[in-house]
Amino acid sequence: MNRTVPRLARQQAISSLRSPEWRALLAALIVAISLISLLTQLGDRLEQSLNRRTAELLGADLVLRAEEPVALAAQNGIRSSQVAQFPTMIEAGDEMMLVSVRAVTAPYPLRGTIVTEPALHPDTPEPGTAWAEPRVFEMLQLEPGDTVQLGYSQFRLSHRLISSPDRGSGFRSFSPGLIIRSDALEATGVIAPGSRVQYRQLFAGPTDAIATLEEQLRANLGPDERLYSLRAEQPMTGRALRNAELYLRLSALFALLLGALTITLSLRRYNAAQHSRAALLLSLGLESRQLLLLYGYQLLFGWLICALLGTALGFGLQQLLVQLLGNLLPQPVPQASVAAMASGALIGLLLLTTLGLPAFYRLSQVSVVALFRETSLPSGVRLRLFQLLGLGMLAALMSIYIESLTLALLLLGALTLSGLAVGLLAQALLQRLAQALRYRMRLGSLLILRIRQQRKWHRLQAATMTLLLTLLTTLIIARGDMLQQWRTQFPPETPNYFLINIQPWEKAPLDQLFADEGLSPALYPMIRGRISSLNDTPLAEAPLSAEQRRHNALRRELNLTWAAQMPDNNTLLSGSWWEGTPSEPLISVEQDLAEALGVSNGDRVGFQVGSQVLQARVSNIRAVQWESFRPNFYVIFSPGALENLPATFITALRLDGEQRQLARTLLKQFPTLTLIDIDQLLNQAQALIEKLVDSSSMILLLTLLAGLLLLVVTLMQELERRRYENALLQTLGATPGQSRQLDLLELLWLGLICGALAAVASEAILWLIHAYVLEIPLTLHPLSWLLLPVLSALLFTGIGAMIRKPLDQARCYSLLKAS
Amino acid sequence: MQLFEDLNLEVHRGESVAIIGPSGAGKSTLLSLLAGLDQPTAGMIRLADKNLAELDETDRARLRARSVSFVFQSFHLLPELSALDNVRLPLEIRGEANSEQQAQQWLSQVGLASRAGHLPGQLSGGEQQRVAIARAFATRPDILFADEPTGNLDSETGASIVDQLFSLNAQQHTTLILITHDSQLANRCSRRLQLRQGQLLEAHA
Repeated sequence: MNRTVPRLARQQAISSLRSPEWRALLAALIVAISLISLLTQLGDRLEQSLNRRTAELLGADLVLRAEEPVALAAQNGIRSSQVAQFPTMIEAGDEMMLVSVRAVTAPYPLRGTIVTEPALHPDTPEPGTAWAEPRVFEMLQLEPGDTVQLGYSQFRLSHRLISSPDRGSGFRSFSPGLIIRSDALEATGVIAPGSRVQYRQLFAGPTDAIATLEEQLRANLGPDERLYSLRAEQPMTGRALRNAELYLRLSALFALLLGALTITLSLRRYNAAQHSRAALLLSLGLESRQLLLLYGYQLLFGWLICALLGTALGFGLQQLLVQLLGNLLPQPVPQASVAAMASGALIGLLLLTTLGLPAFYRLSQVSVVALFRETSLPSGVRLRLFQLLGLGMLAALMSIYIESLTLALLLLGALTLSGLAVGLLAQALLQRLAQALRYRMRLGSLLILRIRQQRKWHRLQAATMTLLLTLLTTLIIARGDMLQQWRTQFPPETPNYFLINIQPWEKAPLDQLFADEGLSPALYPMIRGRISSLNDTPLAEAPLSAEQRRHNALRRELNLTWAAQMPDNNTLLSGSWWEGTPSEPLISVEQDLAEALGVSNGDRVGFQVGSQVLQARVSNIRAVQWESFRPNFYVIFSPGALENLPATFITALRLDGEQRQLARTLLKQFPTLTLIDIDQLLNQAQALIEKLVDSSSMILLLTLLAGLLLLVVTLMQELERRRYENALLQTLGATPGQSRQLDLLELLWLGLICGALAAVASEAILWLIHAYVLEIPLTLHPLSWLLLPVLSALLFTGIGAMIRKPLDQARCYSLLKAS
Repeated sequence: MQLFEDLNLEVHRGESVAIIGPSGAGKSTLLSLLAGLDQPTAGMIRLADKNLAELDETDRARLRARSVSFVFQSFHLLPELSALDNVRLPLEIRGEANSEQQAQQWLSQVGLASRAGHLPGQLSGGEQQRVAIARAFATRPDILFADEPTGNLDSETGASIVDQLFSLNAQQHTTLILITHDSQLANRCSRRLQLRQGQLLEAHA
């Protein structure tokens, strides 16, 4: 008996390859495995590629920034180099300009490349030479080979620095850059105690080693030290990257759900077809445990075929897509990890076990009586347990993508419940609709009978299809919203120059100059100050948690400003903006800071500005687009509060083409102000976002394709099952045309209703995603309310019409005889 | 393969004809030819004064809808529809008015008025076949084809079904062509034909 089961399983596995139900299940599994494998591999490669891209911006995998020189010994295959960066003036003849100097040790950078003109360059500048950005050449009217004076040393400018990673952070990164060798720094004599030098140590190496190092460094971070890692600290692209990763995960999660749905449906169908075979085997003496084992072997055999085919397909497709994307992705694209390659097959196995166990357990419990008369499949406590176990495992799989088992369980529970509700609702709507149209439509009464007859299928199909359409719509719209958000982050008018250190007496002539040029940038006063008290309690004694105290804004001086109107790219979240000059000083606080300090409207905050202390009341809380490349402030005062304090002004403006000449004029007329060119930074950020957009389009397309496949598979299964029913209808007198019209009419209404329900459901899900995941403002999508029902109806009917095979009369009778 | 040879048969209105023969003799094929469900490769079939070969599939379907009904061995009721709705189905296909009252009336005729709302799964085999008979007569067909109508029933239930079939047949003046193994059933028909080696022979009781 021991050998019976494996032998039977072998026979059954081979012979069942001829059964259409088993083949459909295998097809569903192959699609699921290849899609999951494709998405995971692609996600992995894109993530690695994006990480590398970020690393290229950082110039390393990890950067430690400090006010003092740092030189940690690097181990575990980690490479490291040191950078000292500082602003200083350089001279060439009579001309002077402010530059940001980087003194670096080789190898530099550790990630990414420095592009120069001429292209060939050594690791770091040769002794006595420096590389300078084109603006230095332009402003000082120099050519390569000319020399500049930096402190006591002279440097020959050997190369134009076209682009380079690790430009540093903050305003020091905005001045035109100059790179020299680290060992040339001392001779210049520009670094003295108290100089504004930022020291960085760059690290690059194996992922694990870097992660360990990051952990160690983070734990011992001094008060003036900061750590920049791939994920955390890219101010203008960090959020875009985070959203792209979320989107990838969302797509993979949806692919998993789609796969689970398709496999469940195929399993149901296979199971139904195996009902009498199982009863027969039991009647021949097989025990139900052996029967379960038999089907278990068969599933394993099927999985093996699908795992090989699906993984190969997934791998091939993703290679092809990466190839097709070609230069859109930063080259070369790193290979996917082995885990990512095996992911599809492994998840496929888990899905099959999870979903197959309850199904086949049910089959093993079939009664031999089924051979004699129709019986319904048994259910019981153990089956419920298996089903619960299955759902639990599915939730565990989902938690890979959403990183929270609770959330996965909640999501799955919500999906199951809403599936049930949607099914019932759709069925009721279908009935209402058919009743309403009964006398207005040919076949109206037949349609009512059909809807009554197919109510179970409609419930299941509507739940599945509404879910599918909802998922796809959510993906499409979330992507659109995300792109919109990314693009609005850098609209064409995004400033590419910052002007800082504008003295109060320069404000009026500067305004005049801008007006002459047709520009009207807002000038913000800037005063440096610290938060000193909260509601009259000194900050040191204020009831703040350790977490709150770590907020950046509490550990350093803030740039304070005042304004009569709220800056354009800010959003008022609560409270009100002031009118004119209020009788007491009021402030507007940025939302994250307000949250960190635990302050709300009406609270009092104290500031220390130089030797002065001022108190102000919170008048409103505001959201700030930090990535907007505009002057942004944590705290804005009402007019009148800071006017008598020493301030300089700041502004940002867009200069294109001819207008770029204005930069020169500005520096000539106002020699003390500092002009910061951020074009390169802006271009880098924009290029990255374009790449994210392209990859998200590709992923969306693939998921759509898989969804379409699910629709086709379910309709094909159903229409195949319908052949018996159509044979009966035609034998009862219906013409082939009538039975076709009836099928298509039914699909039309079903599609319409699924589309309408999906429009409602996707709005609800999008609302949640906008509010909690992407954290972008809520919007409604009325176009989808109209498009979704229409498209869905067309899709259902169109696919139905394409795959529905007409049934000739001769087949009708033999089909009925055979069943 | 040639299934029938020199096969001639003429059935008049109101006649009841039993076709008997061993398994595999082609009884069911003959029935599907007679009902216009299938086309012969040679020869001619006239049904209700129409040459079937001259009609296209739609016209044949119309002709069937007008004149022909079937009763099957395995009932062929749609399991998701109630007894009443199953009987209504052919009436709705023909777009008849008051299909519901008519169906109800036919169910009463076969003694199942009280079970109109039941699903086929809730009915016994005999009751299911009576629903199928009600469905077959509901369209007042000229010809009723019955393929082993008692094949799935015990002899007692079978007998009562046969009574019902013949009484409705007489009442509606329907032509009845039935295929059966059941000699008792065959004996109640006005003519008995034996199908053997592709030929039909009049059999005498």
